[in-house]
Amino acid sequence: MKSIVLKTVLWCMAALPLLTGCDKNDNPPAELKNEKYVMITMSENSLTKPGYASAFNDKPTGSVSNIKTGTLQGMGMGGWRPYKNWLFKMFNTAANEKGIERLNVATDGTITSGTFLKTGSTQNGSGNFVIQNETSGFYWDADKPFMIQKFNPTTVSRTGEMDFESIIKKTDAGITNQSIGQHFLAIKGGKLFADVHYGKQTASAQWGMFDDFFSYISIAVIDIATGTYEKTITYANTGGITYINDNEMFSFDTNGDLYIVTQGRSAIGGKSKILRIKAAATEFDTWELDMDEIKNVATTPGNYKFVTIYANNGKLYTTIPTVSLTGGQTGNINFAEIWEFYSIDATTKTRTKIDGIPAVTNPGAAYGTQKLDDKIVFRVNAPSKTINGYYELNAAGTGATSLFNVSEGGSVSGIYKVEVK
Amino acid sequence: MRNHSKHIIVFITAGLLSGYAFAQELKDTIPKPTELGGVTINAQSATQKTKLQPVVATVVKARDAYEQSATLTELINRSPGVRLRQAGGLGAATDVSINGFQGKAIRYLKDGIPIDYLRDGFSIASLPINALERVEIYKGVLPVNLGVDALGGAVNLISRRSVPKYLAASYEVASFNTHRITVNGYYTNPTKKWFVAADAFYNYSDNDYKAKVKVTDPVTSNQVYDRVRLFHNSFSNVYGEISGGITNRKWADELKISVAAFHLQREQNHPALMTDPYGAITGKQSSVVPSIRYRKTFLDGKLSIDQFLVHNTVTVKRTDTLAGRYDWYGNFFPIPGRVGESRQAALSTIDYTNTTSRTHIKYKLNHQHSIEVNNVFTALKQKGTDPYGPKLDGTDITVISLPASYKKLVTGAGLNSTFLDDKLQTQLMAKFYHYQSSGTEAWQARPITKTDAVTQNGNNWGTAAAAKYTLTTNSFIRLSAEFANRLPDQEELFGDGIWTVPNFAITPERSFNINLGYRITNQQKDAVEVNTFYRRTEDLILLIPVQAPYAQYQNIRNVKGFGFEADGLYHLNNIFAINGNFTWQDIRLFKLQTSVDQWQNNARLRNTPYFFANAGITAQFKKLVTAKDNLKLYCYYNFVREYYLETIPKRLEPSSFLGLFGKSGVNTELVIPNQHLCSAGFHYAPFTSKISFGFEVKNLLNEDLYDNYRVQKAGRSFHCKINYTIQ
Repeated sequence: MKSIVLKTVLWCMAALPLLTGCDKNDNPPAELKNEKYVMITMSENSLTKPGYASAFNDKPTGSVSNIKTGTLQGMGMGGWRPYKNWLFKMFNTAANEKGIERLNVATDGTITSGTFLKTGSTQNGSGNFVIQNETSGFYWDADKPFMIQKFNPTTVSRTGEMDFESIIKKTDAGITNQSIGQHFLAIKGGKLFADVHYGKQTASAQWGMFDDFFSYISIAVIDIATGTYEKTITYANTGGITYINDNEMFSFDTNGDLYIVTQGRSAIGGKSKILRIKAAATEFDTWELDMDEIKNVATTPGNYKFVTIYANNGKLYTTIPTVSLTGGQTGNINFAEIWEFYSIDATTKTRTKIDGIPAVTNPGAAYGTQKLDDKIVFRVNAPSKTINGYYELNAAGTGATSLFNVSEGGSVSGIYKVEVK
Repeated sequence: MRNHSKHIIVFITAGLLSGYAFAQELKDTIPKPTELGGVTINAQSATQKTKLQPVVATVVKARDAYEQSATLTELINRSPGVRLRQAGGLGAATDVSINGFQGKAIRYLKDGIPIDYLRDGFSIASLPINALERVEIYKGVLPVNLGVDALGGAVNLISRRSVPKYLAASYEVASFNTHRITVNGYYTNPTKKWFVAADAFYNYSDNDYKAKVKVTDPVTSNQVYDRVRLFHNSFSNVYGEISGGITNRKWADELKISVAAFHLQREQNHPALMTDPYGAITGKQSSVVPSIRYRKTFLDGKLSIDQFLVHNTVTVKRTDTLAGRYDWYGNFFPIPGRVGESRQAALSTIDYTNTTSRTHIKYKLNHQHSIEVNNVFTALKQKGTDPYGPKLDGTDITVISLPASYKKLVTGAGLNSTFLDDKLQTQLMAKFYHYQSSGTEAWQARPITKTDAVTQNGNNWGTAAAAKYTLTTNSFIRLSAEFANRLPDQEELFGDGIWTVPNFAITPERSFNINLGYRITNQQKDAVEVNTFYRRTEDLILLIPVQAPYAQYQNIRNVKGFGFEADGLYHLNNIFAINGNFTWQDIRLFKLQTSVDQWQNNARLRNTPYFFANAGITAQFKKLVTAKDNLKLYCYYNFVREYYLETIPKRLEPSSFLGLFGKSGVNTELVIPNQHLCSAGFHYAPFTSKISFGFEVKNLLNEDLYDNYRVQKAGRSFHCKINYTIQ
């Protein structure tokens, strides 16, 4: 009896490897199409931003899974910066390293991570980039804080650098970190606009995050053709220009006007604004949208800020928090559903709340509003209402309806249509 | 093809195991008897007692491996149900996985005392096996006398001590400029009224093995793989303990006073992943550790008391102030304005002052029943300096300089009983947990003031039961179940003052575990043991980002699942013996309520191995050259099935039997590939056991091994070891 028991166990142990040899993959090949709708989702709210990227032959509708054959799983899936038919990310798929990575989309819908351009890992904003054309782009590398690097978007390779240390460096006591282009890089009229930051945090990755030394923000204007510094423009009584990940927090209107978000003097806002540089100008406009005015902070104190911007035909699409922002352990700033989408007329500053969309979680980490098939869509994440997808703006520009909801893969963080060649 | 070969090796080994079993009949027997003048004593070693108790435990006998160059982590990894992962070379951080539990859910003890007060000075990451008698690995239910709030298991390191007097020394020299020395001595006078003992070990390694990393082209900033030699990865650790005491007195069976001291220094060559090279970051730990232990039995042995008390301060230093960076080839590049190579500059000195008191009282009611009470109280205070740490608003006072404290009390009571002529043994247990903490919430993204100091406390109860039934004289079955709690620890409550922010709302993890096992042996010491377990854990604590770059521990996951493990040892004849074991476990997420996460229900718990196996063969020859010599040859193979760093839906897991072959349907880059580790060696003792020589080749196949994602371990290495013992 004992022998039988022993033999049975041992035979089971021996046979185990043999029983496991077969593996099948019976997924049918995807239909080949030249156009792909590519979506990314973030499967876990962790610092490495793990998630999925999938390609769809048709525009997603209804309930959609973002995990299927050909899906890419990796890190750094918190957002992206598309350029024409390319999908760039500031964080690589392999390990969420800072830099610039391009995703490859094959004709069968298989997505793979492409060439990666590595930047210094010590500070947020490293890898912040802007593309001029298929062969020219600029980025900031934390390992060279006084320089702006050049790269070729086609090869995703560095091609050179521009050094501004002698121009922008300050020696004021209390300034602990300085940079150019860490948060904001934009190209307009042959000029490169790069934020110049003076921070006061102690040495840490917090350098450059809500630590403005001065009570104004600065932008250097650089002539791209000659690579020469022209001037620095400033805007007083604000802080925290744009941000340090894939959501640039600036937007060009159809007429070429550039709208720029400033998040304010702290992580939870205060003096947060949307600023403007007119299409033909290289100076700030006197026009501004002040969140503190919108929320009437002067009479009802609170903390509010802008975290997203999309400009189209004189309308600015952004979010406004419904309650005062709080940080800390019980803070509402990131995961509470308190951000409502608005359309704001750039001329009259009239605000129109977009009907049909519930308040969402903080949309700042990835694009909140964009165009898809020439329609304006909003990224809507409202877990309490089981909503995780995109809404499409109606023709009147006053309301939106659900385009699709993501059932599998995590929080949606981007969708974009590319033509696959 | 190469993978197939390895699987064939595993199969053949297991086949040999089973084939031979069919050729032999196991004979009923009793544990090895010792005959003294016609009286037969059924002696059980401490190892046997641990193995045979109602709770499930695996015992790793360090003594059997003294002559080998095996590390403690390798020895543990050859055991079923246990997987110990180490992020790099000697001294690198380790993480034990027991029945799917890992990280902080597993607690470590030294001689039954929670080991937290020694921090890394006495760690499985660097502890030489010659410093230990054995390692007890408890799975699921813990005995009452281990007063810790482990959720799913514990590792109890038992110090070396066996004979009345001895002096033992060992020295190992190995690849990567590795040197390991141990000295252990014990003396008791002839009347056994007093004793002195000394234990010491020293570890050093450059850990400068070659690793496959991505190097960045200085012109294009693109990356290519290259094999580079790690250049800032050394580790050194010295530990010494002197103890003495009196024994066999009216008022004390043993009163032992010890003073231990250790110093540890570690270079850091890269962050958590091998993404960036560091060339100057260092960490240090040191402490002097006085302790006292008192043991006494009263009332003709019916009542026993065991009291342990320790008070010490561990000083932890971290330095990261370099004004520049290194590349993987060791070249330095200055960076204007930069302070530190990592994301957090540091010049920190933090003192952790610890007091731990453990009291164990046991009373035998009669020959069938005994009761025991165990109480462990721990008080920890933290205070330090770091000019680069966060400061109170408008001041130069760093938050780390403000005192923080943590107190924990774990009280357990148990009833041990035997029935049916001792065939049935049972243990019933209850535990009470209490913790209290205070500290300052340090979020750098907002002003911090002294008013941010917070105090937190909590109470919890847990129960457990275990039973063992002896089927025959050489086989038994055992069953245990537990409602366990794990209290949040100091880091989970207070954060680390750098990236992990406090969470004073965090609650204990709770788990229900069941273990069922069967063991059969024979006179030749052949043995087969099978165990299965079920666990259901709620409010699992995980580190979650809250506001870049900060993270916070939160209760966010529920997991449940079951597992199966089998272990076999067979002596082919007087020379050859083979052994093998495997573990398969199916630990999955459940009860995820948030709509965006519901798809993860029933997915495997990420970053957790689900199948691993071992096979080994040993050969022992005697009287080859001298009349008392002994030569032992051995070869061990360890396999870990690839597993996924992040969650993938169940429907896209490898579809083969138990997921043992094939790939996920997802094109994932977040996979820890199949691991094959083969090591072989021999040791030779020319004159019984006084002196012995050992030689071993580790990672014989020179495989790329990654216990953690993209953190590569050493390739093939050579180890020589000499042992000398006087007794």
